[in-house]
Amino acid sequence: MDRSRVTVVIVVLAAALALPFYAGPFWMGLATQIIIFGLLALSVDLLLGHTGLFSLCHASFFAVAAYTTAILQVRYGTPTVFAAPAGVLAGTLLALVFGIAVRTRGVYFILITIALGFIVWGVAYRWSSFTGGDNGVTNVPFPSIGPLAVTSHLQYYYLVLAIVMLCALGYRMLVSSPFGLGLRGIKASESRMRSLGYRTALHLYVAFVLSGALASLAGVLYVYYNRFVNPVTGSFQISVEVALMAIVGGSGTIIGPFIGSGVLLGLRNWVSSFFELHAAVMGVVFIATVLWAPDGLVGLARRLRKRRTGIRKDPA
Amino acid sequence: MKQSALEVEQLVKEFGGLRAVAGVSLSVEAGQRRVLIGPNGAGKTTLFHCITGTLRPSLGRVSLFGRDVTYLEEYERTALGMGRTFQISNVFTELTLLENLTLAIVGTDRRKWTMLRPVRAFGSVREEALQGLEAVGLEHRAAETAQHLSYGERRQLELALALKSNPRLLLLDEPCAGLSPSERQRISRMIADLPRTTTVVMIEHDMDVALGLADRVTVLHRGSVILEGTPDEVQANPKVREVYFGHA
Repeated sequence: MDRSRVTVVIVVLAAALALPFYAGPFWMGLATQIIIFGLLALSVDLLLGHTGLFSLCHASFFAVAAYTTAILQVRYGTPTVFAAPAGVLAGTLLALVFGIAVRTRGVYFILITIALGFIVWGVAYRWSSFTGGDNGVTNVPFPSIGPLAVTSHLQYYYLVLAIVMLCALGYRMLVSSPFGLGLRGIKASESRMRSLGYRTALHLYVAFVLSGALASLAGVLYVYYNRFVNPVTGSFQISVEVALMAIVGGSGTIIGPFIGSGVLLGLRNWVSSFFELHAAVMGVVFIATVLWAPDGLVGLARRLRKRRTGIRKDPA
Repeated sequence: MKQSALEVEQLVKEFGGLRAVAGVSLSVEAGQRRVLIGPNGAGKTTLFHCITGTLRPSLGRVSLFGRDVTYLEEYERTALGMGRTFQISNVFTELTLLENLTLAIVGTDRRKWTMLRPVRAFGSVREEALQGLEAVGLEHRAAETAQHLSYGERRQLELALALKSNPRLLLLDEPCAGLSPSERQRISRMIADLPRTTTVVMIEHDMDVALGLADRVTVLHRGSVILEGTPDEVQANPKVREVYFGHA
């Protein structure tokens, strides 16, 4: 890691740790949300940025995990120590099934993931005796394990921050491992990977399941933050938004999806306070990104820096 | 009798109504250098794709080292000791040369599934990758991405990738196509210097390269073998001269 990247990481972490000292409850809530959706965007980007597969069903894993944990906690009084892992497990099991999508590529993969995503949304919406239909599941308590209980939004913020930081470290390890390099190899040339002895479909399937597991973890973190879950959590719109977050922030990087999450959620909060068509603003942001910063904000920053240092190093 | 590295029996490949390969049989002994020649459209590359597993033959059988692989996937054939290059350079343009070679090295063993150890912790792989680059004269560019390579350098990287999967049977699809004379010389010397434990089957248009390297030559025309023999026999054959050069 070069020095500027270390600096960025330290500054971001310090800001995140110190946030409660200068931000009120509203901003704390927003920050928690940004970190959780950043994790969801990161999970999408394991496929998008590293294998080139554009998934539009990640809200499904997110929602199934959230529903599982919520229903267990609220309806059956299951303690967090079981309800939270059960949520991650349920989302991951769904990813094991939805992983069949890796048999397709390109636009067909996108279409099949959209269809799969709508199944989950439809079930959440229509199977109201189990999911609560439009109302969803409400009154999810703060998580508590034995004597360790979260009692405030501030504590939960730090818990989320710690878990997501661990995930980011694990993710970094994964993408710099031979397996991670293999994924980028498949993105660059799948036919070449096959001829080098890689069972590429299996590699992609494993990546898909890992990505789904990460999205599920984000779902569990979300439901304890939001205190309730309804079909919107698993909607197509969420799947699209998190993919946008990854692209806007910088696909293929770790900090990018979090930056994208911050930009999109921040912008939505700000714009929706005075403009009803805030979704249109998201559209404009996306178009601007594709046109002027196709590598996202991280890519843009790198390019600007390179240009600046390039000029400085130029003897003329 | 020596074991055969590659055995093709009555192989047919049809695309709709077109018979690209019309019943080809080949037997390549272990250690041999076999060159496939033939005019454009003779079915050489299609035959190649059926041998590597990229295409499934319509009829017939393919065996590698005595094992029937007709229904095996390409990655399974690679695990049996097959390596190949592509007619149009197929390298990982977005990755560095070192990463390109690393993928080739770990591709045939279990290390490709390692998830919790960074690539740079595998010192021996790095060394092997650098050796692989050195063999094709690209070691000084190890840290650059492959997109910065010239056409000829990509051909060399292509060959380095195929060699690093440790093949016992190397399939080369026009390795010298489009190269400058000096690059061509370098590649053909590399192929000539390969140990005899590696069997080489190669498609080549350049007659000098082909006839210089080959132990035996197979001539294809319109999807069928019209002649197989030593380079001298092939050169002397009037039928070959007719189909290949258009005149006797």
